[in-house]
Amino acid sequence: MIVTMSASTGPATERTFRLIRSDQAPLLARPFYARGDPGPIVAALAHVPEILELAVPFISAVLGPSAIDGRRKEIVILRSSARAGCRFCIQAHSVVALDSGLSADEVRALRGSLAIDEVFADRAERQLIGWVDTVAALGPVEPRARAEMYQMAADHELMELTLLVGATLMLNRFCTALDLPTPDDVASRLTEVGIG
Amino acid sequence: MSDVAAAIADGVLPGRLWLYANYHCNLACTYCLTESAPSVSRRELPAERMVSLALEARTLGFTDLGITGGEPFMVPTMWRTVVELAGILPLLVLSNATLFDDARAERLRPLSRLPAAIQVSLDHHDAAGNDEARGPGNWAKVVDGIRRLVERGIRVRVASTLDPEVEVRESDRSALCELHRSLGIDDDDHVVRPVVRRGRARAAGIGVDALPGDLPPELTITADGAFWSPFGPTIRNGELDTDLLVTRTTTPLERPAAALARLLAGGPPTSDAQLGIR
Repeated sequence: MIVTMSASTGPATERTFRLIRSDQAPLLARPFYARGDPGPIVAALAHVPEILELAVPFISAVLGPSAIDGRRKEIVILRSSARAGCRFCIQAHSVVALDSGLSADEVRALRGSLAIDEVFADRAERQLIGWVDTVAALGPVEPRARAEMYQMAADHELMELTLLVGATLMLNRFCTALDLPTPDDVASRLTEVGIG
Repeated sequence: MSDVAAAIADGVLPGRLWLYANYHCNLACTYCLTESAPSVSRRELPAERMVSLALEARTLGFTDLGITGGEPFMVPTMWRTVVELAGILPLLVLSNATLFDDARAERLRPLSRLPAAIQVSLDHHDAAGNDEARGPGNWAKVVDGIRRLVERGIRVRVASTLDPEVEVRESDRSALCELHRSLGIDDDDHVVRPVVRRGRARAAGIGVDALPGDLPPELTITADGAFWSPFGPTIRNGELDTDLLVTRTTTPLERPAAALARLLAGGPPTSDAQLGIR
C-alpha cells in the first residue's frame, strides 16, 4: 500500500502560476513565440528554456502529424484526457477532434457524456478506446487487452498509440496541476458547437 | 578541446564567466539593475558553489572570472571567497567599496599578489553629483574605500555610470579623471558606461534600452539560472527578468556555456548596436 501525502495543509494563497509573456521569453524560447502567442503549455515550459526546446519537439512528434491518422490520434488524446479529468486538455482537444473529423456526439462520447458503443460504430475504434481506458487506468495491463490490440495494430502502431496515451497523461497532469487557462478561442468554439 | 573551449579560443564566446554572488546591498541606487537594497531577497550563490563553478570554468577554457551582485561584500565570508577565486582564474570583483574599513581592507590584502581587481562604482567628482543616485554620504565612503585598497597594493578600477540623457560637462569629466588619478588609478582602469534601462532604472524611465546585441555575451551564473550577460538577471517590481535567460541549469557549467555558444553561433536575436555597455 502506498501512503499518499497532501502537498500542503496550509491556507491557499492568491498567487497563481505565471505564464511567460513574449516580452520575457528567454533566448532559447524566442523561436516558439515568433508567430505570436504560443499557448499556455509553451508559455509554461518557457520558464525552463532548455526543457522547452526538447519538450516541444517531443510533444509535436508524439501528438502531431505522424504515421497514425489524425482521427485515431485525437480519439486517443481526448479519451486519455477525459480519463485523467484534465479540463484544459479536454477542452483544447475537443476542438482539435472536431477539426479532425469527429462528430460532436463522438466528442461527447469520448468525454464520457454518451455511451461509446452507441456512438462509435467501427469495431477497431471501440477497441482503441478500450486500449486507452486500459492504459490510462494505470496498474498492470491484462494480457487479454494486449492480445486484442495485437489483432488490430502492428507493433509500431501499438507503440505509437500507447506512447500517445502516456504522453497525453503527462500533459494532463502538467496542465491540471498548474491550472493552465483555457484559451479564449477554444472556449468560444466549444460554446458555438454546444460542448462545454 | 571542448566545444566551449573552442568557442572561447575562436573569440565566439567571451572568456569571462560572471557569478552573481548575491542580490542584497547596503545601498539602493536609483538606477540599480537588480533593485538591490538591504532587505531584498538575497538570492546568494554559496561560496563553495562559486568555487566549484570557477574550477569548472577553468577546465572548460574560460579565462577570467567576474563577481557582482548586489554588493558582494555584504556576504561576510566574501573576502575569503574572492581570494580563493583569484587563485583559480584572474578575477574582477564589482563593489561599491563602502564596506571597506581598515580591518576589511586588510583581509583583502592577498589580492595584491593575485591577478585580481576590484571595480568600484563612482559616478561624479564630487559628493553632490555622486550621492544623488547612490545615497547620502556615499562619495566620501567610496573615496575612503578606494584609498584603503590602493594603499594595500590592490588593483582598483573605477566605473562611472552616467544617465545618457544628462549632458556631462567636460569640466566635470576632467575633474572625475583627476580624482581617480589622484587616488592612484590609471586612465585604463576607468570605465564609463551608460545607465541601462532595466531594473530600477526602467521604473524611473532612465537609461538606454539594451538588446542582446548591445550587451557583451558574457555567461552569467546566478541562483536563478544562467544569463546572456551580467546585465541580464535584472529585477523589475520584485520579479526576475527572463528575457536574457539562457538556461535554468547551471551544473554542469558546460550546459549553459554550450547553449550560449549555440545562440552566438546563430547570431544574437537583435542588432549589433554599440552602446558602450560593459
